[in-house]
Amino acid sequence: MDSQRSDDGKGYLVLVALMGAALVAWWWLPSVSVAPNRIVPGTGFSAGQVAGWPMALLASLPLLLTGWVALRAGQQRLSWLLGLVMLCLVGWPLWLLLATVQLVDPQLPQARVAIGAGMWLTLFLLLLALIELSTRMKLAAWRSWLLFLLPVAVLAACIPVGLDRLALWQEYQGRSDDFITAIGVHLLLVAATVVLSLMIGVGIALFVRRVPAMQRTVFSILNFLQTIPSLALFGLLLGPLAWLASHYAWLESLGVSGIGWAPALLALVAYSLLPMVRNTLVALEGVDEGVIEAARGMGMSRRQILQQVRLPLALPVLIEGIRITTVQAIGLTAVAALIGAGGLGRFIFQGLGQAATDLVLLGALPILIMALVADALLAGMARKLQPGLSPGAGT
Amino acid sequence: MNERHGAPWLAPLCWGILLVGGCLLMRFLEAPLRLVEPDSRAVVFERVDLLTLLGRHLLVVSVAALLSVVVGVVAAIAVTREKGRDFLPLVAQVASMGQTFPPVAVLALAVPVLGFGTVPIIVALMLYGLLPVVRNTLAGIEGIDPAVREAARGMGMTSRQILRQVELPLASPVIVAGIRTSVTINIATAALGATVGASNLGEPIIAGIVNGNTAYIVQGAVLIALLALTVDSLFGWLAPGHTG
Repeated sequence: MDSQRSDDGKGYLVLVALMGAALVAWWWLPSVSVAPNRIVPGTGFSAGQVAGWPMALLASLPLLLTGWVALRAGQQRLSWLLGLVMLCLVGWPLWLLLATVQLVDPQLPQARVAIGAGMWLTLFLLLLALIELSTRMKLAAWRSWLLFLLPVAVLAACIPVGLDRLALWQEYQGRSDDFITAIGVHLLLVAATVVLSLMIGVGIALFVRRVPAMQRTVFSILNFLQTIPSLALFGLLLGPLAWLASHYAWLESLGVSGIGWAPALLALVAYSLLPMVRNTLVALEGVDEGVIEAARGMGMSRRQILQQVRLPLALPVLIEGIRITTVQAIGLTAVAALIGAGGLGRFIFQGLGQAATDLVLLGALPILIMALVADALLAGMARKLQPGLSPGAGT
Repeated sequence: MNERHGAPWLAPLCWGILLVGGCLLMRFLEAPLRLVEPDSRAVVFERVDLLTLLGRHLLVVSVAALLSVVVGVVAAIAVTREKGRDFLPLVAQVASMGQTFPPVAVLALAVPVLGFGTVPIIVALMLYGLLPVVRNTLAGIEGIDPAVREAARGMGMTSRQILRQVELPLASPVIVAGIRTSVTINIATAALGATVGASNLGEPIIAGIVNGNTAYIVQGAVLIALLALTVDSLFGWLAPGHTG
């Protein structure tokens, strides 16, 4: 790679580096690990051991080709590169299928294949390449999501043909009902948190605007809450709520107790208030005074101005606050599983307790995906609503 | 948190004294703890000395924070230089996307790869703590008015001088805000490490949740909260003005 400063002469360094790293991971780290049942730790197989080295070489050809094109053609052939990276991504589940067919003894009903460090790292680097290319090509967000769905679809198609031996899938099979319930509980808690904190947050923000003297105090309290670690806050709420439930029968009949959804929801809302109030305030104060003047000049009342001018103009920044809150709540709800609130965190902590990696993944992967999807959706919504206004304060 | 005028060191000092005092004197607080948990035999967590737990917690967090600050700032500087600019869009994109990853999920994913114990937690905390540092360093350096850089160059400064005397000082408030976010998240996430076998202030909480002993939970929770407040007010004293 001669590093001439003119853009057309040099190799596409980022992609060359990513593909180089992917090749190293592919060849040197274990590709998959196979275990005869759930309890026995698996044995790792490198790419060459899966189906002989010629096959492994064949499988790594797309990676090599991508790196080579990136080196030779530089950034001239972005769409070629995108196609090649997609080829690698589609090949990824196929390799997993090949490894399963090759290595799993069909006589053992409990035998399972777990994805090894090499394949995880390769996948991670390929996704980075995908992100890099779609940023570079300025693809619309939904297009990159569509691209991402293709390998997922291939993976799903591989499951009935033999990939049902994937350890992650086996863990899912063992608790498919639980899984659906957990996702439902998780989403419900997040939704309740967002709605409640939105209502309370907007209320506090409006109050603080009326009484500016309170602003400092309110923010001090909210900041203070945010500083307390989630585990500690969940823990601290156990005692008071248990006490309340034992002293007031009607609370207990509502399902309130020291463990479960009640302390979880309280803590989640407490955490969500800071970003919500901050963004609502920024949103309301960010509206141009001239616009308000004009509205007043048209004879609008205070209430009308708030409802018809301020709130609509403030909406994108408000949605930004909802985005931050939602993403944060999705993660914190996982911790709430420790105090018996259910949700996907339960699988994480169960899996950690049993040292069952794939059970941990069964909990963690959907949480990651949920967070990313919520982030993308709400960010897209904020962008759509107000192209002119710059987004407000972040976290 | 903006501290009051006058004695900005007062807040960290007070929280710190409460924290250490709490660790040392917890066993004399049996009576109030008994109120919380009247039924259990033991109400004071005595399996491990609380001060030891605090020390371990601080060790893990500070090692991870130190690593992520060094790596993060260096990486962010590298991709804003002429030679590393190719990597800038990817690094910026990953740093902002990574912020959406919940800390629990990151910790949970790190354990299968790295194993149980202290080292994996340090690695997980470091990786996660990198993101705010990188993002804020990038924002700080990129946010500098190009005219300022031009002026520095016009004065005959070399690239290295511009970095050290212009860019870093101007970007430092934003960088420090990133470090503050990173450390605050790390203190909380390290406590979660107790669920994966790390011994720190999260341990009494987990022990309390498992045994149904609220008094244990209260001890752990209060101490972690005090630690978080001490560190946060320390940042408020040393680098005022910026809150995340």
